Amino acid sequence: MSQLTKTKDEAVTPKKPAGPAIIASSVDEGHRTQMAPFGHKLVELAKTNEAIVGMSADLAKYTDIHIFAEAYPDRFYQMGMSEQMMMTAAGGLAKEGFIPFATTYATFASRRGYDFISQAIAEQDGNVKIVGGLPGLTTGYGPSHQSTDDIAIFRAMPNLTVIDPCDALEIEQMVEAVVDYDGPVYMRMLRGAVPLILDEYDYQFELGKAKMLRGGRDVLIIATGFMTMRALDVAKKLAADSVDVAVLHVPTIKPLDEVTIAREASKSGRLVVVAENHTSVGGLGEAVAGTLMRASVFPAFRQISLPDKFLNAGSLELLQDQYGISTRAMTRSIKNWL
Amino acid sequence: MTEPNIGDNSGLAERSYRVRRNAIRMAEVHGQGYIAQALGVADVLSVAYFHSMQVRPIQPEWEERDRFLLSVGHYGIAHYAVLTEAGYLPEEELITYGLDNSRLPMSGMTSYTPGAEMSGGSIGLGLPMAVGMGLGLKRKKSSSFVYTLMGDGEMAEGPTWEAAIAAARYKLDNIIAIVDFNAIQADGPSQTVMSTEPLVDKFEAFGFYVQRVDGNDLSKLIEAFDNAREHSEPKPRIIICDTKLGCGVNFLENREKSHFVRLDAEEWKQAYVALESGRKS
Repeated sequence: MSQLTKTKDEAVTPKKPAGPAIIASSVDEGHRTQMAPFGHKLVELAKTNEAIVGMSADLAKYTDIHIFAEAYPDRFYQMGMSEQMMMTAAGGLAKEGFIPFATTYATFASRRGYDFISQAIAEQDGNVKIVGGLPGLTTGYGPSHQSTDDIAIFRAMPNLTVIDPCDALEIEQMVEAVVDYDGPVYMRMLRGAVPLILDEYDYQFELGKAKMLRGGRDVLIIATGFMTMRALDVAKKLAADSVDVAVLHVPTIKPLDEVTIAREASKSGRLVVVAENHTSVGGLGEAVAGTLMRASVFPAFRQISLPDKFLNAGSLELLQDQYGISTRAMTRSIKNWL
Repeated sequence: MTEPNIGDNSGLAERSYRVRRNAIRMAEVHGQGYIAQALGVADVLSVAYFHSMQVRPIQPEWEERDRFLLSVGHYGIAHYAVLTEAGYLPEEELITYGLDNSRLPMSGMTSYTPGAEMSGGSIGLGLPMAVGMGLGLKRKKSSSFVYTLMGDGEMAEGPTWEAAIAAARYKLDNIIAIVDFNAIQADGPSQTVMSTEPLVDKFEAFGFYVQRVDGNDLSKLIEAFDNAREHSEPKPRIIICDTKLGCGVNFLENREKSHFVRLDAEEWKQAYVALESGRKS
């Protein structure tokens, strides 16, 4: 045994306990919240749509579909810890005319479920709605639970629509929209107390559409998921420094609203910053970069995203700051780039 | 039973003969392929399609049909052979098998072929898909069955067993799983590649109604499929069929390497002759 090896006691006796490395909230300080928008909206829609059924791979409580399960016990299928089987069975239920919402964590849906979603759902254009909880860096559990690569993984899958919603309002609107849409969808999902942001922006989710939430002359932040919440906060902070920040919210990452993105990025003189709760590889940042190259639009371009590495375990607030996706870190980065 | 308005009412032995002949026609186009499996499983498919299942080949999406899921996608050749015999596909189309723009791709896919209900090929999807369809049919209060054809090599796939657990948990007595146990897979004898026996004991322990039969004995197959449909316990059903690769063409039955067979033009001619000689008139 090497002398450099720490004894077990040395390794695990910090003076002060670190922050909880558990499932944490996605809510930043100062924002209103709404409880379990996904679960409640699904219950509401199911009242008039008999085809909706729910499934979970032992994570009903942690994806908010337990609310649906309690309201419609006979329309909810607990599939146990069998993500591959659940995804394939969801494809089977879709073949019989149902609209299954298959829930698990984003990391298990994407990494473990890929082949099954590809062959049993996407290739057959199955009307399955895949729900991925704990998107990106929203847990301090470490790489097993941190879904830093799900967007990249699912963007590569033909036929699949990929959505990263921002807040409770958008989750409600998105769930309704995907029920109306006949085809396979992957949705990132925020659970529990979910921030409520977009009601102040007269917002309406539309599948495949990016929406300008505020205009600005100096910086255009193109953001998805709850990073739009932060982009709006950053814009307010930077306004105090006389930096005028526009925010374009892009909830649907595939199919991407290339027209709006190219149009907004081509307005001269703005630094374009893409902000996402995802690795810099294969997510919205690279999707936007590709769009702009193809459209011959060449603005100054930066990415706010997670690094291409397996992230640490630890307290979420510290990790988000350390990896550059907190509001504070974003503000700092953008100031440095100007 | 297939409704009498399609095909003819020849005996099952004659059906099996024609399914085999259809398969040889397809394999001959390429000079090679999964012909040994197709010949081996022909009797199982004949009993499924011409004795056991309720289907309407002229109306492949008929809501009350029994579903058939080809999990082993490379058995497309066998499936097209029986679909043609049943009347889903015209015989002239057999020679397009595996060619560009054909509806009969080498690996079976639902978007290509009438009567193909799933895209298999990535082995291990059949039973999980059957669980989903079985649940859906129960929700609709349908009395249709879901048949799924798996291979013995497929018994090493984890999702097969995840699905076995769920099928029993949800009492999916509308699933009739079939294992074509021909004892050979891509890398060699299946029980050497990865031993999955004792399969009967395993599926019984998982809560299935299990039968194991000679998959080239039509009367045994008929009895097994009847039992599977009529069994009273609320359990998923499985029929493990021990089949002989190349069955019906003697020089293929005795071949050592038969997972993927290559023959020259003369040998294909001999295959028809060998098959014809065993035809029961």
